[in-house]
Amino acid sequence: MSIIQQHTSASLSDAWRTINIDALLEDSTQNFDVSTLHPPLPETSESEVRQLAGQVRQLLRGGDAEGALRGCLEFPVYNGEHLAKEAHLQTVIEVLQSIKASEMTPMLQRIYGTQGGSECLDVLMKYLYKGMASASGGSGSAPRTPSRMTPQQTGFSQMGGRAHTATESAGAAMSVLLSWHEKVVEVAGQGCIVRTMTDWRKV
Amino acid sequence: MAAPEVHHLFHHPIADHSFSQDRKTLAIARENNVELYGRVGNAFKLKQELKSHDKLVTSVDIAPNSGRIVSCSQDRNAFVWEPTPEGYQPTLVLLRINRAATFVRWAPSENKFAVGSGDRAIAVCYFEDENNWWVSKHLKKPFRSTVTTVSWHPNSVLLAAGSTDAHARVLSSFIKNVDARPEPGVWGERLPFNTVCGEYLNNSAGWVHSVAFSPSGDALAFAAHDSSITVVYPNGPDQPPKAIVSVNTQLLPFMSLIWNGEAEIIAAGYDCEAFRFKGGPQGWQLAGTLESKGRPGLGDAREESALNMFRQMDLKGKVKDDTQLKTVHQNTINTVRAYETSGDSVTKFSTSGVDGRVVIWHT
Repeated sequence: MSIIQQHTSASLSDAWRTINIDALLEDSTQNFDVSTLHPPLPETSESEVRQLAGQVRQLLRGGDAEGALRGCLEFPVYNGEHLAKEAHLQTVIEVLQSIKASEMTPMLQRIYGTQGGSECLDVLMKYLYKGMASASGGSGSAPRTPSRMTPQQTGFSQMGGRAHTATESAGAAMSVLLSWHEKVVEVAGQGCIVRTMTDWRKV
Repeated sequence: MAAPEVHHLFHHPIADHSFSQDRKTLAIARENNVELYGRVGNAFKLKQELKSHDKLVTSVDIAPNSGRIVSCSQDRNAFVWEPTPEGYQPTLVLLRINRAATFVRWAPSENKFAVGSGDRAIAVCYFEDENNWWVSKHLKKPFRSTVTTVSWHPNSVLLAAGSTDAHARVLSSFIKNVDARPEPGVWGERLPFNTVCGEYLNNSAGWVHSVAFSPSGDALAFAAHDSSITVVYPNGPDQPPKAIVSVNTQLLPFMSLIWNGEAEIIAAGYDCEAFRFKGGPQGWQLAGTLESKGRPGLGDAREESALNMFRQMDLKGKVKDDTQLKTVHQNTINTVRAYETSGDSVTKFSTSGVDGRVVIWHT
C-alpha cells in the first residue's frame, strides 16, 4: 500500500516545489541579518574622501604616482554613502589614468612585495571591476549616478553611440581599466579575482 | 621524489575517497553509490557496490581499526556499513536533518562520527546499545549556513567545522558515557556538549572549504574560497588567539588541506595540483607545488614526425595538443587525505577529484 493516502491535484502537480520554505523557517538565512556575521567596518564620510583625494592629487602633482596609488588603495571606502564611494572610485581612476603603461608592472610588483601589498592589489582589483561596472569611466570629475548606466536596448544602439564623445572617452577609460586588470592578474594571480568576488567588503 | 601513483578509475567526479588501514580497499563516493575497490597488483579493481542511498553520496569514510564505513548523501541519510562475513551490512542512522548531508568523518576513537549538513547543523552520531541503533545529537548553534566540512581533534571530543557563513569553528561534541573526559587544553577546560571554543574568520571572509587540526591538536588550519589558508594558534580558553596567520595566494581556491607535522600544510583545489605551505606561529608561506613539472611521458615524449604534424594540422587545425592540463589531475581536486604516516608526519598522501582519478603522492 502506498504511503500517500490521497492524491489531490495539488500533490500531483509540482507547484509546491516553488514554495520558498526558507521564508517560513524562523532561523533561516532569509530571516537573519547576514551582515551581523562580520565585524562592523568604520564609516567613511564624503568629506574624508575629498580630503584624501586632495592629498592624492598633491602626490600626483609632485610626481609620486606610486605613493598616490598606495594612498588611495590603503583607505578603501567599504562603508559609506554612495557619493563617498563614487568619489573615491573617481580618485582611483584618476591615479590609474595618470600612470604610464610601462610603469604599471614594476609599480605593482613593488607594491605586492611590501607588507600588506597583496591586500592593496585586491582593493585595486575591486575598484577596477567597479570602474568597469559603472561603464561611464572617469574622465569627468562629476560623480556618476546609476541612472547613467541605462541598458542599451539593442546591439545597434552601440553603433549610434559611437558618435558621442562621451562614449569615446568612456571607451578610453575602459581600455585603461582593462590594461590595469591584465597587469594586476599578472602580479597578484587569479586569486586576486577570486577574492574580489568572494569578499564581503564591497567598495 | 618518486613519481605519483595514478589510478584513473572512471570518467566521473569523485566526491570523496577513503583507504582502509591496510590500503588494500579504497572506498569511492560515485553518484548515488559507494564503490569499493580492491588492490590487484598495481591497480584497483571494482569489488563491490554499496547501494542504499538514492541521491548523490557526498562523503565516505572508513574507520581505520573497526573497518566500518560511514557514508552520507544528499538524500539526508547516513549509513554505517558493518563488515560481516557475508559482506557489508548497512544500518541507517537517524540524522534528523531536513537538508542534504554534506560531509562525514569518524572520530579517532571510532565510537562516533560527525555529519555536516545544509540544515545549518552537525549531527554527532553514536551507537546506543540499549536500542541497538545509531542516534544523533545536533550541534546547531551558532551555524548560520551550510556546514561544508568537519575535522576531529585527536581527543575525539573537539570538532572543527567550516561553513558557508565564512566561519571556521571549534566546538565540543562531548557525549556522556561515550567519551572519556578530555584533558584541559588550549581550546578549553570544561567542555560540555556544544561549547563553542572558537570562531574564526579571515579578512575577506570566503566560505570555508576545509578545516584541519594540527597533529598535536593545538592549531587549526582552514582553507576558504578567497584562495587563502588561515592558521589559528589559540592561547587558552576565553583568550584571544596567540596568532592568526592568513596567507592570500595568487592561486585558485583550495578545496582540501592536511597537516604534515606542525610546520607544514598540504592543500589542493581548483588548480588541480597540490601545494605545500610552510611556517609556524610567526608566519606561513607558500613553498611551491608538489607536482614535478616537465615530467616526461605527458604528450611531450611523443615523436614529432612530419607526418604526425601535418595529420594534427589536418585533423585539429593545430600542431600541439593543448587539451590536457600539465598537472596529473585533469580537474579540480576535492579531497586530500593522509595515506601513509610515520609519527606526526605524512610520508604519502592521496588526492581525488572531479576527473575520476585517485593519485597517491610522496611528500
